[in-house]
Amino acid sequence: MSLAGKLLTGIICLFLCFPLKVSGWDWQTRVTVVVKDQPLRVVCEILEKGYGIHFSYSRELVDLSRKVTVTAYQQRLKSLLEELFAPDDIRFTRVGDQLVLQQVKRTTRTISGYVQDAVSGEKLPGATIYAPILKQGTTTNQYGFFSLTTVKDTNSLIISYVGYEPALLPVDGQANRILLVPLQPLASLQEVVVSGTDKTRIQDQTQMSKVHLPLAAVQSMPKLLGEADVMRTLQSMPGVGGGMDGAGGLHVRGGSPDQNLILMDGTPVFNFSHFFGVYSLLNAEVVKSADLYKGAFPARFGGRLSSVVDISLKDGDMRHYHGDVAIGMISAKFNVEGPIVKDKTSFIVSARRSYPDLLYNATLKTDGELGRGGAFYAYFYDVNAKINHIFSPKDRIYLSLYKGEDNLLIKSVPDSIVPDASGRAAESSRFQLGWGNTIGGLRWNHIYNTRLFSNVSLNYSQYAFRTEYEFKYKMPATGQASDLYGKYFSRMKNIGLKADFDFRPRPSHAVRFGGAVIAHYFRPGLMNLSDKGSTPVIPLDTAKNWLNIRGTEMLLYLEDDWRLRENLYANLGVHASGFVVEGRFYQSLQPRLGLRYMLPRNWAVKASYTHMNQYIHLLSSAGTSLPTDIWVPSTQRVAPMLSRQVAAGIAKTSTNNAFEFTLEGYYKTMYNMIEYSNNSAMITQPLERWDENVVIGKGWSYGGEAMIKKQKGTTTGWIGYTLAWSTRQFPEINNGRIFPYKYDHRHDVEIVLTQQIGKHWEASASWHYTTGAPLTLPVASYHGVGTASPWDPGSGVDVGIDRYDGRYNYRAADVHRLDMGITYSKQKKRWRKSWNLSVYNVYNQKNPFLYYMKRDEDEKQRYLSKVTVMPILPSITYSIKF
Amino acid sequence: MRSFFVYGILLLTLLSACEERVNIQLKYEGDKIVVNSLLQPDSVAYVRITRSVPANVYDESGFAEIGNAQVTLLQNGIALSALQQQTIKGRTYFVSKEKIANGNNYTINVTAAGLTPVTAQDTLPPAPVVSDGAARRGSTRIVFTLKDRPGAADYYKVRVLAYGPGNQPDTVRNFRLDPAFNNNLIDVIANTHYSSLIMDDTRFDGKTVNFVLETENPINATRLMVEISSLTCSGFKYFRTVDVQIRNGGVLITEPFTVYTNVHNGYGIVAGINSQRLVFSTE
Repeated sequence: MSLAGKLLTGIICLFLCFPLKVSGWDWQTRVTVVVKDQPLRVVCEILEKGYGIHFSYSRELVDLSRKVTVTAYQQRLKSLLEELFAPDDIRFTRVGDQLVLQQVKRTTRTISGYVQDAVSGEKLPGATIYAPILKQGTTTNQYGFFSLTTVKDTNSLIISYVGYEPALLPVDGQANRILLVPLQPLASLQEVVVSGTDKTRIQDQTQMSKVHLPLAAVQSMPKLLGEADVMRTLQSMPGVGGGMDGAGGLHVRGGSPDQNLILMDGTPVFNFSHFFGVYSLLNAEVVKSADLYKGAFPARFGGRLSSVVDISLKDGDMRHYHGDVAIGMISAKFNVEGPIVKDKTSFIVSARRSYPDLLYNATLKTDGELGRGGAFYAYFYDVNAKINHIFSPKDRIYLSLYKGEDNLLIKSVPDSIVPDASGRAAESSRFQLGWGNTIGGLRWNHIYNTRLFSNVSLNYSQYAFRTEYEFKYKMPATGQASDLYGKYFSRMKNIGLKADFDFRPRPSHAVRFGGAVIAHYFRPGLMNLSDKGSTPVIPLDTAKNWLNIRGTEMLLYLEDDWRLRENLYANLGVHASGFVVEGRFYQSLQPRLGLRYMLPRNWAVKASYTHMNQYIHLLSSAGTSLPTDIWVPSTQRVAPMLSRQVAAGIAKTSTNNAFEFTLEGYYKTMYNMIEYSNNSAMITQPLERWDENVVIGKGWSYGGEAMIKKQKGTTTGWIGYTLAWSTRQFPEINNGRIFPYKYDHRHDVEIVLTQQIGKHWEASASWHYTTGAPLTLPVASYHGVGTASPWDPGSGVDVGIDRYDGRYNYRAADVHRLDMGITYSKQKKRWRKSWNLSVYNVYNQKNPFLYYMKRDEDEKQRYLSKVTVMPILPSITYSIKF
Repeated sequence: MRSFFVYGILLLTLLSACEERVNIQLKYEGDKIVVNSLLQPDSVAYVRITRSVPANVYDESGFAEIGNAQVTLLQNGIALSALQQQTIKGRTYFVSKEKIANGNNYTINVTAAGLTPVTAQDTLPPAPVVSDGAARRGSTRIVFTLKDRPGAADYYKVRVLAYGPGNQPDTVRNFRLDPAFNNNLIDVIANTHYSSLIMDDTRFDGKTVNFVLETENPINATRLMVEISSLTCSGFKYFRTVDVQIRNGGVLITEPFTVYTNVHNGYGIVAGINSQRLVFSTE
């Protein structure tokens, strides 16, 4: 090399190396910065001072005022700068030893579409769409639709849903198109557990006091007499209690069962149980998922005080025909779904019926106890049908129908007519009893553009109870003949038209708004009985005790999931509603507020404040739900119920997403609640004056709930603990003093575990412990009187009277129970079979169902007696999926 | 319908349930004076004074009487002659010298050593206007006519007694309102009859009503007595709540029913009653 060449090479080398030597930093330099709630500018100053990194920018064009909290130890410089500047669209470039900052023109784009099961085409509500670089995300709504507005240079999104393989979705060039994101289901269900947060990490959701329950969580629980059940699974969550042992009923945060809004594909259900509350009215196989809101109610929900259970049903497989058939100890059921037109129209049909009465009826026929024309049926059934049709990528329609009933029929036609002890010779008798729901829904999803989605629905829901009785007899001694026919009928129905909109105007806002008009029809308590016999009886009165009332409810709502600052999020909403009934108008404006603040190490602090209003009341006997319970609207004397709830808590998911922890506290006040006044509950009063027989009071519920869940690995499950108080105050009950709610349980522990054992076996166990419910026992007994004079005929009969002073002076025994189940599944060539063995109440704990003061005439003693109804109950279920 | 269901569930569960005694120390309010007296016009007053007991005491002797009680009967605030103790059918009663008369207010005060004094008062109801009692032998129907006062809250108690061999109304017959007359499906399904019927006039205020009763068993007596009593509001509340508590059988599935008392600082009832009796031969 010539001298000139050496000199030139030296100069070039010197030129190239000089900046590095001067600046002393590069993109790989490890930096440590710890600031709390400081402007970006301060972070830049720290980097400049500590590492000699000089920032060059125009204060007028580049805004570094956003406050940030940074905890970075020995982090690569480039990754730290990306995290700091990406949310504000600030581009950084190295020029010499300068780091030049430029404000990129904020260009955004909106990506929207549906997330669906890759195999069946079933839409997945609550799936997560997440941009990891921007730490921005959203979830699909109940129709599986999402819309995410983000910066234009976002490369890809991660789509995830529990039970499915997460997918990486490249989004280059995908703007302004409606995407279909298929997720592949996992081969096994071992990681499918209940999630409190729609599968996103719980700290990334502003929504609190919510439980998400996918179908698999219901199916993995131990079964009661072979039936998996949605309500029973929800009862095993903190803050949720059941009713009497063996019976259903949701008591959420000290609320009564009538304060739960249960929505089936958006349609309200009035009585969500079969068989006096033992089973849910839905076949669990058709449930896609269920969301339970215990508080922090989003503005789109209203009409009940204490909880919302939002159940999504399966839509039907768009590509393949398949189904399942199962038989258990109580019921048999099937479920079939498939395409009508592939990828265009699908259907799903399911039906279930209890069958023990068929066996019993056959026995009765053989024995001839009810005569040749006699019959006995006691069963429940439910039928679900749904059609889902895609008109265009932007329009789809769902038509769903549900019919479910509990029925009892006893029909007797004696072969020979023989007078009984009362002298009556029965010719025939028939007693029929039934109650059930009829539900229909027509929904139309429409996508206006990538940012605006709507659902318009027309809903119909009816609950009816009816009894019929026929009795034809003669009295041979006198020739007296009777032909009695009577019926009792009660019905509640509503028809609603609702429009809901999802609007994502900016990355930091997710807006929902909508409105509805609902017509309520109340027709409770129509009773009629007549004797068409040879000597007809003129009734004392007729048709006195039934009502026919119509009420109209209107509502509007608006809510916004808003990212206020980097670490601060809010869900702001308002729900306005009005109710017109019998010329009166009630209205309410219900604020809904949720806040989330992110702390270091992925801890989230959440808080909420909500108002809820309820215009309809359930006439029920002291918290005991019965099919005969009657819904009635608010009256002049009984105003709509109102609740206010404040809740606060913390939430965190472990780094590997295996564990999730929540801790929440709440305080709820409830106004205008009703209860039958002392002694009115069992006395038949004219229904048109029901409001004169109830007292109006208020209630308070407060407590804390903790839950830790393991949601990954072969062992999954959760431990929940609830500490709660729930009290009531009515002016004419308990002398006006505050008393505990009937189902006030101080401590409640729930442990649920599921263990995957190899490829074919899955075991599950749940243990439930709760402290005793309040109980009222007599404080004295004394003698009563029947006649004015001891010389009167019929005098001298002893009447012992129990004295009660105040309500709930005792606590019943603590309740605890272990349920276990094991399932064996095997895939055959065309179908998959499974056996499930479940044992309810494994150690046969004698939990109290009810107490009573027993007068033991043999022992000449009087004492408190406890009745137990649910002993150890093993069951076996066989099912085939094809 | 609601009560029918409660009882239905109870029946079902009790049939399938197991039961065990709970050893628990029941709270006790302490001994209190129990005053029981139903005041009938044109009759002397009979007052029975007993003592309350803890709820787990099995008592088959009609509860312990307080023999040394001081009982005072006041008519419109003025004390009547001292009541005399009489033993009737093995029980002790405090009996007035004067007869009870309509249009007056009566107060009974009772004191006893070691117990808190008690007081209770009530008025008397007008006599019920009843007529035309009739029944066919071998049938289960009894009819009578009741004329109710318009615009006034009236309360009634009805009993049916059959005459025995001694020509005395010595047998209380169980009955109910005929289900077709009552237009009540529950009655006919439940198929339960009771020894008395307690009712108010909500459904027939001011009307003359031909009542139809249905007895549990065919009528085989040659003579029957239907006793229709007017009650005061206190008497009605008492009988109604006793009726409900007894029917409920102490089962604590619903809230227990508190029996009405108008005895201050004690238990029991002091109430006016005015009975009319229709006695007739069965056809």
